[in-house]
Amino acid sequence: MRSRDASTPRTPSRRSKRFRETSLAYVMLAPSLVIFAIFVFYPFIKNFTFPFYQTSTAGGFGAFANESKPKWVGWEQWGAVLGSRDFWHSVWVTVQFVGLTVPLGIALGLLLAVIAHQKLAGITFYRTIFSSTVASSAAVASTIFFSLVGTQTGLWKLQINGHGILDDKTWALPAIAVVSIWQSLGLSFIVMSSGLQAIPDDLLEAARVDGAGASRRFLRVTLPLLSPTVFFAFVVGSISAFKTFAEIDLLNPIGKETGGTSLLAYQVKRLAFDSDSRTGQAAVFAVGLFAIVLMLTLIQMRLERRVHYAR
Amino acid sequence: MSSVTFENVTKRFGEIAAVDALNLEVHDHEFLVLLGPSGCGKSTALRMIAGLDEPSEGDIRIGARVVNDVDPKDRDIAMVFQSYALYPHMTVRKNIEFPLDARKQPAAERAELVSGAAESLGLTDYLDRKPAQLSGGQRQRVALARAIVRRPSVFLMDEPLSNLDAKLRVQTRVELVELQRDLATTLIYVTHDQIEAMTMGDRIAIMRDGRLQQVGPPQDVYDNPANRFVAEFIGTPPMNTFAATAEAGRLLVGESVLQLAGHLRASVPDGPIIAGVRPEHFELADGAHATADSLSATAVLVESLGHERHIHCRLDSSDVVIARAAASEVCPAVGAPLRLIVDPQRIHAFNGDTGASYALA
Ligand SMILES: Nc1ncnc2c1ncn2[C@@H]1O[C@H](COP(=O)(O)OP(=O)(O)O)[C@@H](O)[C@H]1O
Ligand SMILES: [Mg+2]
Repeated sequence: MRSRDASTPRTPSRRSKRFRETSLAYVMLAPSLVIFAIFVFYPFIKNFTFPFYQTSTAGGFGAFANESKPKWVGWEQWGAVLGSRDFWHSVWVTVQFVGLTVPLGIALGLLLAVIAHQKLAGITFYRTIFSSTVASSAAVASTIFFSLVGTQTGLWKLQINGHGILDDKTWALPAIAVVSIWQSLGLSFIVMSSGLQAIPDDLLEAARVDGAGASRRFLRVTLPLLSPTVFFAFVVGSISAFKTFAEIDLLNPIGKETGGTSLLAYQVKRLAFDSDSRTGQAAVFAVGLFAIVLMLTLIQMRLERRVHYAR
Repeated sequence: MSSVTFENVTKRFGEIAAVDALNLEVHDHEFLVLLGPSGCGKSTALRMIAGLDEPSEGDIRIGARVVNDVDPKDRDIAMVFQSYALYPHMTVRKNIEFPLDARKQPAAERAELVSGAAESLGLTDYLDRKPAQLSGGQRQRVALARAIVRRPSVFLMDEPLSNLDAKLRVQTRVELVELQRDLATTLIYVTHDQIEAMTMGDRIAIMRDGRLQQVGPPQDVYDNPANRFVAEFIGTPPMNTFAATAEAGRLLVGESVLQLAGHLRASVPDGPIIAGVRPEHFELADGAHATADSLSATAVLVESLGHERHIHCRLDSSDVVIARAAASEVCPAVGAPLRLIVDPQRIHAFNGDTGASYALA
């Protein structure tokens, strides 16, 4: 009786039920799979083929322009872009931008979270204010910034060395960074707040009884216990900062082509879609950006477990 | 080395008074146990001594000093939390060292004190481990080591044994008592476990709904509970209580009659009261013997614990009481009528409305 039970294959009715459930799952998934395939998977793979073709003297690629048929150029274009000053300058500018926005964004988010974590009257009001920028996009943030400090129409018409801040070679990138930090501050605040809330109260109470003052409690207990959260915010923030595009496109700062504000993501758009449509070159920039983000993701996956404290 | 005094201390959280007009003096070098059911305000009382909660009213003194506004770190206390509250990112050594470090003790002395504390709690081999790599019992010891390393004048412990398994709890109980004796410090120990309270404390303070019910040495509290709550909270199984009617120095329970002892005869008024008898003070007799000072009852359940039996009996009044009998005694059959003989000296009488003991009236 028992042995027969174990060896009997699944009854047909059970198998067909399983089959029905599985098919239903695929049917339900189909719409988003189709959208993903068309707008994410296909372009992603296709992008790796673009750098092998060139169509015009300018390097344009016929897909979007009125150029002739694309010409196979093999690895030549990869070499040309990866060996160019513009590419590496853009990488450097982007790294600077990330180095500016991410640590500052995290530090500010943490500061606000620590303030909001105090048990004070009316603190919910501040929490709401602090997290409000989550509801805004980079485009909204840029528009608000422009209406505040824009050279012609801005509320304050912020001037540096006789021209608008976005037209200043030194200050354009920091100005963009400010917009970006402000826009992402709400998220940073929320992430840091949830990190703080996960620290058990009795640890900080124990530290108080043990004689630690506020700064020692923060540095020796809160901060170390928050480090997994900070690490997470750092990696995720870096990935998103590396992809910064809208602020440049909308605020139109000086040096956005090859100068001091030439962020990688913007170069992809500029090379591909501006008049001479150098899609092949743009694709190499895109692959470069992909490589950086991939690297960050791998680092995060490697280290995530190591920075976690078992309780 | 300090006493701790609550002077009319009340702590309110919104509407509810977690601690209500508490007056209590804990003597220097005393092992005092704060006992009571969950939610009765024990932790709140302890946290007010630590300075983690502020009294809404009244004063707390450590020694002669009123500490209401003194920061926890300046109170010369150490606390062991129920969760142990070990710093998960620090090694055992760093955990134990933390209070010394925070007080800027010179490094040379620190190392010596840490190894001393670790040795006295058998942690020397674990100093370089993180808390997550320790067993529950070892973590509990780290919490103790962190508390004793600084030699505070008052120790506060909030249910420190509640996360240990039963066997380890018994062992640690003994060790804690020895530790307190060696350190010769005041120790205020919170628990909801009356066995811990009975076995460990010099005195027990019993709380209920934020109010202090009774304070005294364990045996006193056991023998002379101030009210029905205390009587029923202490003892395993706890004191039996059942309805009775007092009449001219006697207690009527259904058809049965018990004599009241001299000290109660004067204080118990005629009328309905609650009588109390501890399970070990019932003597079982055959149902046929109609002795004086006994209750007629029927056995409804017999629990055997190996060395003794708990015999659940239904009285005429339909109250159920437990009688404790040695395993060597004859075991009554379930359903059999029997008599429960009581020495009048062992009878407690409580006010049916307030629960207060008439013995103290
Ligand atoms: N921070 C707080 N806020 C609101 N109510 C609290 C707080 N701490 C304790 N209480 C309430 O006070 C009462 C006593 O709590 P507590 O002292 O923790 O009891 P115990 O330690 O005896 O279990 C409980 O009713 C509890 O809900
Ligand atoms: Mg408690």
